[in-house]
Amino acid sequence: MAEHLPEAGWGVSVALVAMIVVSAWLGAVAQRVVERGSFLQGYFLGNRGLGVWTMALTATVQSGGTFMGFPSLVYSHGWAVALWIAAYMLVPLTGFTLLGKRFAQLSRRTSALTVPDLFRGRFESPVAGLVASLLIMFFLSFMMVAQFKAGAIVMKLAMPQFAGDSASLTLADDLPTAATGLGWAYYVGLGVFSVTVVGYTLFGGFLASVWTDLFQSVLMLLGVVILLALALPLAGGLEHATRAAVAQTGPEFALASGYGPAGHTFLPLGLAGSMFFVWIFGGAASPASMVRVMASKDTGTLRRSIVVLGGYNLLIYLPLLAICMAARVILPSVPPSNSDEIIPRMALATTAGLPGGSLVAGLILSAPFGAVMSTVSSYLVVIASGLVHDVYQRFLHPSANDRHLRNVTYGVMMAVGIVALVANLNPVQYLQALVVFCTSSGAAAFLVPAVMAAYWRRATAVGAIGAMLTGSGTVLGLSALGWWEKSLAASGWLAPVPPAGQVTSFHPYYLCGVEPVVWGLAMSAVTGVGLSLLTRPPAATTIERLFGPSCREA
Amino acid sequence: MTDTEDPLVRSARREALIVLGVWLGVLCYTLGVAARWGYGRPLDDLTFVCGFPDWVFWGIVVPWVGCFVFSTWFALCYMSDVPLDADGSSAAGNEEPANG
Repeated sequence: MAEHLPEAGWGVSVALVAMIVVSAWLGAVAQRVVERGSFLQGYFLGNRGLGVWTMALTATVQSGGTFMGFPSLVYSHGWAVALWIAAYMLVPLTGFTLLGKRFAQLSRRTSALTVPDLFRGRFESPVAGLVASLLIMFFLSFMMVAQFKAGAIVMKLAMPQFAGDSASLTLADDLPTAATGLGWAYYVGLGVFSVTVVGYTLFGGFLASVWTDLFQSVLMLLGVVILLALALPLAGGLEHATRAAVAQTGPEFALASGYGPAGHTFLPLGLAGSMFFVWIFGGAASPASMVRVMASKDTGTLRRSIVVLGGYNLLIYLPLLAICMAARVILPSVPPSNSDEIIPRMALATTAGLPGGSLVAGLILSAPFGAVMSTVSSYLVVIASGLVHDVYQRFLHPSANDRHLRNVTYGVMMAVGIVALVANLNPVQYLQALVVFCTSSGAAAFLVPAVMAAYWRRATAVGAIGAMLTGSGTVLGLSALGWWEKSLAASGWLAPVPPAGQVTSFHPYYLCGVEPVVWGLAMSAVTGVGLSLLTRPPAATTIERLFGPSCREA
Repeated sequence: MTDTEDPLVRSARREALIVLGVWLGVLCYTLGVAARWGYGRPLDDLTFVCGFPDWVFWGIVVPWVGCFVFSTWFALCYMSDVPLDADGSSAAGNEEPANG
């Protein structure tokens, strides 16, 4: 059954182009601010001057996933996704309090510009810094490459020529295109997206990233609020939408287990509990978040950021749930392969009959586009800082001057952008699974060493390195077991686990029914504490410098 | 030992422990509500509150609002401000674009 999607119209392009222009302008303004001081400190850490709004709305977790993956899950599985995302109610509090104050302080006391810098300074170990740097670059590279594809898809949907091509616009006919993930509009979208995001990030660095992030976050909020106001009346209210969805799918759509294929439970209780670990600790210990709390202007900024982000999340996530429920009535037959496009499609569908609807659709569409751009831009900065500061300057050319480092940084950032673009010309099939793996591994790798660095005097470099490696290694091991689960279970080596989680061709092995990140964190904690106790305590002078009162500082 | 500790370390550790306690409490409450009323339930029983299925409203929407209220109180009334700059060098430049 083919469902006609309204034309995107020129208003959509105008709105998106306006957004790109503003982002580029912010990049240029940021560049002028960076020029004022030392290049690296300005470019990678914004001169440690982040204020409340930039901190609150950019330091954590809005990403392409918020507007692509999450809506797709709600549309496919139902109200269980509310439970899946429930831990976000705590993210503002945990994201800024678990590590915030101490990381802001430690980064100053160790003169750290990056997270590996901080580990290196805190544990007085270049190896700890290098291990952190390599892990961060490895994880973020995969996550960034995946976001490029999401950006290209939004651009594709926004193109009037593409929208006018009715053959591409009937959802049923859309399937072959979606199956290959390509089509000329995809390449144009990919090109525009890559040039924009790499361009403004390259010019303004960290500040360009957080300023455009802030601007885009405000657009996202506007987009969600407008879409909610348009979608709910069209769907006849939330209860009606839920009942209609249950009629289309099954009773599980309204329950906590979630709707899924026969024999497949989307969210068993164990996985629901695991998400309280994934979101909370993954958010607090993600390298892009840690570096932003390091850039906080003062502790008052961190406090007020909790309130701003708390209000923001409340206005984003619950409305998104309602919008995606409404989509079940407004767009009842979006095929699973296109469910990532629910929000863009809802934007086009709900504004079709409105005067100036095309511009409104553009505003709403800029939400997912902005989310993807801001994520890519923050990852770009962290990856470039890793390559330039933690590897090039630290190990290859310690005496490089500002001018030289600036040229290297620009070159690195362009190279990273080109690699991401080329990787997306033919997107990897299991990219989404890699993203999930990288998020979990990142949390399992960095949370324990970060907490040890912040609060435990007895923590040693060997303990921190061990915690990073066993945390990420455990997640990697359980993911690999998932890959071979069927054959291992058939030969009796492994107890099979009932199918659960997202319906993908790849999922990790859920040992005892919980996400690998829970085991990763446990292993990381045991190793970190154990190895620290077995190795020689850090020098008393170091601990005094990093934990003692500031008046003792020279 | 603690008398040689920076006040920021003490306050940050105390606040982090409280927040971990809140995390554990919310985890238990939300999973408890979902386990009791969200799983394996006949659909005829299901009621709706403000358009949400009852288990979503009581288990997720209400604690979400509660968490926002608590976070606001905790951040504005409980958490303390401590100077960050150990060496007295203050942050260079203010970066907010709106107010220069």
